[in-house]
Amino acid sequence: MVSEAAIRVSGLRKSYGGHEAVSGIDFEVAAGEVFGFLGPNGAGKTTTIEILEGYRERSGGEVEVFGIDPAQPTRAWRNRVGLVLQECELDPLWTVREAVSLFARFYDAPRPVEETIKLVGLGDKRDARVGTLSGGQKRRADVAIGIVGDPDLIFLDEPTTGFDPTARRDAWNMIEGLKALGKTVFLTTHYMEEAQHLADRVAILRGGKIVAQGRTEELGASLGRRTVIDFTLSNGLSIEDIRSRISAPVEASGSQVGIETENPQADLYRLLSLAQERGAKLDDLEVRRPSLEDIFLELTKEEKS
Amino acid sequence: MSDRGIVLAQARMAITVALRTPRAIIFTMAFPLVFLVLFNSIFSNGGDNTATLPNDLKLSAQAYFTAGIVAYAVALSTFTTLAVSLTTQRERGQLKRYRGTPMPPWTFIAGQIARATIQALAMTALLLAVGAIVYGVPIPGSTFPAFLLYVVIGTATLCSLGIALSAFTPTPDAASTIAPFTVVMLAFFSGIWIPVDQLPHWLETVGKIFPLYHLALGLQTTLSPDAKGSGLDAENLLILAIWAVAGARIASRRFLWEPQAAGG
Repeated sequence: MVSEAAIRVSGLRKSYGGHEAVSGIDFEVAAGEVFGFLGPNGAGKTTTIEILEGYRERSGGEVEVFGIDPAQPTRAWRNRVGLVLQECELDPLWTVREAVSLFARFYDAPRPVEETIKLVGLGDKRDARVGTLSGGQKRRADVAIGIVGDPDLIFLDEPTTGFDPTARRDAWNMIEGLKALGKTVFLTTHYMEEAQHLADRVAILRGGKIVAQGRTEELGASLGRRTVIDFTLSNGLSIEDIRSRISAPVEASGSQVGIETENPQADLYRLLSLAQERGAKLDDLEVRRPSLEDIFLELTKEEKS
Repeated sequence: MSDRGIVLAQARMAITVALRTPRAIIFTMAFPLVFLVLFNSIFSNGGDNTATLPNDLKLSAQAYFTAGIVAYAVALSTFTTLAVSLTTQRERGQLKRYRGTPMPPWTFIAGQIARATIQALAMTALLLAVGAIVYGVPIPGSTFPAFLLYVVIGTATLCSLGIALSAFTPTPDAASTIAPFTVVMLAFFSGIWIPVDQLPHWLETVGKIFPLYHLALGLQTTLSPDAKGSGLDAENLLILAIWAVAGARIASRRFLWEPQAAGG
């Protein structure tokens, strides 16, 4: 597939009065990619996504979505872009099928209505009124009207908020299904596990600036984050013994030990041989690669305090 | 899908929603019918009660109230219902959501106007039928086209004013207080509840400024057996048209698609 950029953003700025919500951000989203756009509340996520969706005008910078400036949306362009906004905006008196059929009419080449309803897992609720659905089911109805136009690019703004774990898994499968169809997905989420699972690349936003971006699995390494080996110290082994064998920083609190290593294979081998020599048992041994959540929390720490 | 298809789908959905809203059925559909029965029972009990219009034409009290309540029902079906439903849909974020689709904005507005027009015409037919069958209101053939024309022009005027009002009502509560209250007040000023010849002069003078007065007067005139010619009156038509244009201008300039109360 020719890798046309679906989204191109450079030097994007947006200010409200004196406050700058987005202060010069750059990123690109390739066609067919799932892009995770992360950040704490107030970081500028919603402002950015609303500029990309054509809802808000920017104060500066360049934005292109499929080669079109979203501030001047055309009908043909709207046909290629599907939205799932943060809140459910459907009339509670509509049935699921009525809502999806209505939105299907707006598009040149919509997906079949029944198939779309089944795809989001509302098959047995197709004749239920939107007002009677649970939070998670309403969210699925939002997703159904977002994809019924068969768009090439889908903005998903926190699509699984309020979902139980099963519903979340289903939603993930559905998003993976969209990707398999070659769709581009622009995803914002509060759940780092979700971004880690779904996104090919992520950008982390803080205070209106992008503080990290890259391929999801490489983000930790590119930021110099290390793998952590955790275990509980047992008889026959002291913290000094470990420090004498392993040069990586060893942190201990009580009997809990954590080793932050750049070379997990070698350090783990040293640790295990040491324990073997002493006949010591390492309880709760765990090797953790830095998760997106760790990176996110660290990068957005100041914002939280 | 064709744009015409979108308009029809929007109109059908709006009718569906109205029929699933008991409050809408009671206030905008059942109330006018109840008023028609009440007023005819209270004021036309036996005797030959006649009302005299400001243009000196006379008609039976039954015809007078039937025509006035048709004007009232048209106002509820258009002005009130549009102001309330547009504000509700906007504050829910539904209008914003539409703007994120390829749907041309005009098709939505046209669908809402179609719903209002269908409701206004259905209410007119219902009230006229009850008036004619139950209260023996004669429907003069020569002026009936003018009666229908007034209903259509009144519908257009009050639709444009209802859409315009929605731009100034921040919440559905505000809309569903202001819009019906306005109609009830103007109905007093327009001789819909109490015949104009029994109103204090100043009340009628104020009423004359507003379109409901001229819609009611136009409808009452065309139901009078004394009406001359087509029954149309230039002043009534002109004032309705002025309000229609003013409403349309405000609506097209000030109409809001994004929720106002939520902020952000």
